[in-house]
Amino acid sequence: MSHPNFESQLDAYLDGELAAVDARELEAHVAQCRECMEFRDRRLALRAAINARVPTFQASDVLRQRVRAAMRKPSMFGSRPRPPRPWRSLAIAASLAVVALGTWQLAARRSAGEALAGDVFTSHVRSLMPGGGHLTDVLSSDQHTVKPWFNGKLDYSPPVYDFAGRGYPLIGGRLDYVAGRPVAALVYGRRQHVINVVLWPSARGGDLGPTTQTRQGYHLLHWNTPAYAYWVVSDLGLTELREFSRLLQQADSAAP
Amino acid sequence: MAAKSSSEGERLDSHELERFETVVLPHLDAAYTLARYLTRNDHDAEDVVQDAYLRALKYFGGFRGEESSARAWVLAIVRNTAYTWRRRQHSDTLGTEFNEELHSDTVADEHPEATLLKRDAGESLTRALDQLPIEFREVIVLRELEGLSYKEISDVAGVPVGTVMSRLSRARQRLQEALCAAEEC
Repeated sequence: MSHPNFESQLDAYLDGELAAVDARELEAHVAQCRECMEFRDRRLALRAAINARVPTFQASDVLRQRVRAAMRKPSMFGSRPRPPRPWRSLAIAASLAVVALGTWQLAARRSAGEALAGDVFTSHVRSLMPGGGHLTDVLSSDQHTVKPWFNGKLDYSPPVYDFAGRGYPLIGGRLDYVAGRPVAALVYGRRQHVINVVLWPSARGGDLGPTTQTRQGYHLLHWNTPAYAYWVVSDLGLTELREFSRLLQQADSAAP
Repeated sequence: MAAKSSSEGERLDSHELERFETVVLPHLDAAYTLARYLTRNDHDAEDVVQDAYLRALKYFGGFRGEESSARAWVLAIVRNTAYTWRRRQHSDTLGTEFNEELHSDTVADEHPEATLLKRDAGESLTRALDQLPIEFREVIVLRELEGLSYKEISDVAGVPVGTVMSRLSRARQRLQEALCAAEEC
């Protein structure tokens, strides 16, 4: 089987960078191609490994102070000690590089939050993929079955509710990997739609109301409670998804 | 166009300094991380970041982007500073330009599989990243560690989005082989 550009297409797809129409075409192909599914799984494993194992670095206090000192004393520019030889020409070249950046134009920043949104989005899409994807590890509409299932699998016990009475029945749960850590994904339904709720402990505090974004036809809602960072993702209409999120928030604030 | 404050003597006023502090300074760790992976050592990374921040401070008056694009703006300055640093380092050994096809298919003696077979997987992944050609390394760091979009990476690295896409894919393939070798899959 030959797949011209297939790898980079699938990479772009997993990065949430593929146009919707291409994404749909790719999904259709992947769904019936074992080789592609294996490739996708290896890539997801690689991403998880990079998240977990490849470090980012912190600027040292010394460096921070050096930069701050330069800010407090901008006159440093004029009287800066002459740098050693390579640095002088380096400074000139860097200046030119910066001037070239003058017409800087950028799309909105892909902040850490958006990278997370990408993770959650990927988790949702993957959970729905026919064949290769898997939606639930524990399939049960009973919250007292789903919640204990996470015991020993996570270092927290996620709140699980059943909103069947409100038209959002619990379907089950699974372990997933988001934000560089194993997380609980809870699956709820609404008619034929699937809603993924991904949450993990967060020290951020409960001030943030739901923020909304849309990726390739899926809506993502995000908020923080005092205990958890919440992400809700579905192809369900935004109005209903907001209603569902309110149910979750109310249940959380009513919980002991 | 030239940056507004491109003359050597011009200073940022206190309001601009304050804005610099809120908009650019928070990206110091991101800047250091990129510099650290591009130079592959702490000392040079610090020098590159300090110099990049001095440049950023100087040209901040000409930065008219949204606050949200400051991260990519400063990373681009770090990247260019690091490349200049590197050209100085290698000025006497520079022989070959980076060649997309050549470098992505080469099985050099520094190929991950050759050196990393028995190593711990985490260490091997970082080492494999360090051994990638710098053009591959930077797209991985910008995407996986800094979380930039393809468009932002394209602006930072000065290559078309299509090139970002293919470099990312080839770089990941290399890392995957290293990971696989370490875990004996």
